[in-house]
Amino acid sequence: MKPTALIADDEEAPRAQLRAALQAAWPSLNIVAECANGVDAWDAWLEHEPQVCFLDIRMPGMTGIDVARRIGGRTPVVFVTAYGDHALAAFDAGAVDYVMKPVDPERLSKALERVRTRIDQPALNPAGLQALLEQLAGGVRRPAMLDTIQAGVGKEVRQIRVADIVYFEADARYTRVVYVSDGSEGEALIRTPLKELLAQLDEREFLQVHRSVIVARRHIAAAVRVDEGHMHLTLRGRPETLSVSRPFQGLFKSQ
Amino acid sequence: MSADRTHRPDQVDWSQIWYPGPTRVFTADEMARAGTDRPSRTLLTVTMLNYALAGFVLMQMAPPSATAALSLLLAIAGVIAWLGLRRLWVRPDRRSLAVVSTIGSVALMLGLIGTIELKDLARGQPPREWVVVAGIALAMLVTVVYWFAAVFRAHQIESRLRELAERERALDMARQLAAAQIQPHFLFNSLASLQHWVQAKDDRAAPMLMALTAFLRATLPLFNRQRLALGDEAEAVRQYLEVVRLRLGDRLHYGIHIDPTAAPAQVPPGLLLTLVENAVEHGVMPSLSGADVQVTASVQGSQLTVSVHDTGPGLPTDAQDGVGLANSRERLQQAFAAAASLTLENAPDGGCTARIVCPLETA
Repeated sequence: MKPTALIADDEEAPRAQLRAALQAAWPSLNIVAECANGVDAWDAWLEHEPQVCFLDIRMPGMTGIDVARRIGGRTPVVFVTAYGDHALAAFDAGAVDYVMKPVDPERLSKALERVRTRIDQPALNPAGLQALLEQLAGGVRRPAMLDTIQAGVGKEVRQIRVADIVYFEADARYTRVVYVSDGSEGEALIRTPLKELLAQLDEREFLQVHRSVIVARRHIAAAVRVDEGHMHLTLRGRPETLSVSRPFQGLFKSQ
Repeated sequence: MSADRTHRPDQVDWSQIWYPGPTRVFTADEMARAGTDRPSRTLLTVTMLNYALAGFVLMQMAPPSATAALSLLLAIAGVIAWLGLRRLWVRPDRRSLAVVSTIGSVALMLGLIGTIELKDLARGQPPREWVVVAGIALAMLVTVVYWFAAVFRAHQIESRLRELAERERALDMARQLAAAQIQPHFLFNSLASLQHWVQAKDDRAAPMLMALTAFLRATLPLFNRQRLALGDEAEAVRQYLEVVRLRLGDRLHYGIHIDPTAAPAQVPPGLLLTLVENAVEHGVMPSLSGADVQVTASVQGSQLTVSVHDTGPGLPTDAQDGVGLANSRERLQQAFAAAASLTLENAPDGGCTARIVCPLETA
């Protein structure tokens, strides 16, 4: 089977250049997704689970480092970066691979050699990698966190406090917001795609458990393994269950 | 460094024949910067040994009866020579050289002849020949030593001053480039797009190259000056925004509206560009759907207002000045003191507005 790859750069020309350089250096590589921002890149990773990712660092929505942090070493990541990006010295230590823009074919093939040996292998030192990414992410300015969400319900525009939200679920065209406000339950539909909400929610409060589900941590009652490969969450005081997709099941390992 | 004192190698300086020595006179400030060092131990030791050797040779030439007198003379001459050299070390110009070598050689000659020939002269006999020859030779030797010392020292200070000036120039250039802050990230990203479009024979390559070249050309001289007409800086800003628009396509829209009355206003260069770079970096780039950047400048009475508005995500609550903004504030402060202000605030319709208000000054 052809190895699969995801590439992400917010600018069209460098993305096209990277694609051309990759096709020349690794003809059998199948580029399954080309993304123009970090939000799409993470969503595409969940959709395709590619075997290698090439990420620009500065991207709108979510930075390449944020995406890599979420990938968490499950897939080798090569950063594609212009000069002047953060902490290249840390990259030089060999912990994370990177190539410079404009992409130099020779440097790219060196990075690809390393990638080929690491494909389908978990990161050697996932904790160290994650720590490094956290450190790199610290230097990046991120969008302001949401504290209220506006939703049209009938004729009124409701202001939903983010602290009241139980979970978000992506619908075909909308995002369903389920919340509990002053003891009464409510639901609303908003147009903001779930993948965009993700970057604006505090990670300490909210957890993505599925490509189309983000849940408030404090409402999770238990994670139940149904069978090999299937898991769902039960919620405090609520009847519905939320399914946990495979990439997120690792979040609920018993100690 | 004034030209009239510096020696021009293609012209003969005839005054060196009758008035030899370094022509340049160092000012107190120049000496303080490049001439406060002391001579090296090696130099002092070698000089003393040579002097002792010369004295020994002289003793061998003199008859035994003159030994005591000669030793005294050599000691006194040594002190005079020492004082002369010290003087030349701190003032190595030809005036000092003339004074020092005249005193030194005359004193030595008179001393030598006087000490040894006193008896002869009292008896009415002519001075002995070797004494006269030795006196003249010593005087010449002293003059030559002084001359070398002065030339060496003047050359040493001159080259040190030149080195300091060069280092200052280099530092100044580095400061200018740092102030110019052509962000490497911007440059290399632009080059990445350009490279791809050239390889792919895309029609956008030519306008990109033109805008980038025009931007660099407009930016580099920006920082050599204290003040620049706002209209000129707006041109650099237009090229910058054009480069970014070509790269981002639909994600950037921009407009530049400089009132004709505001265009000739003299402002510290680079301020407007910094604000626009900030708007692009923090307003347009992080925005998923892109943003609009509007640059406006207008005059009310004797006040100039320049504003840069973007429709991006706005300022985070804990926003702090970056390097560019901190520099801008400082330059504004230097130029107008308290009469100018730079403010950043979230606009009522979303996004961020940066505004400079300063006195209107025209050239």
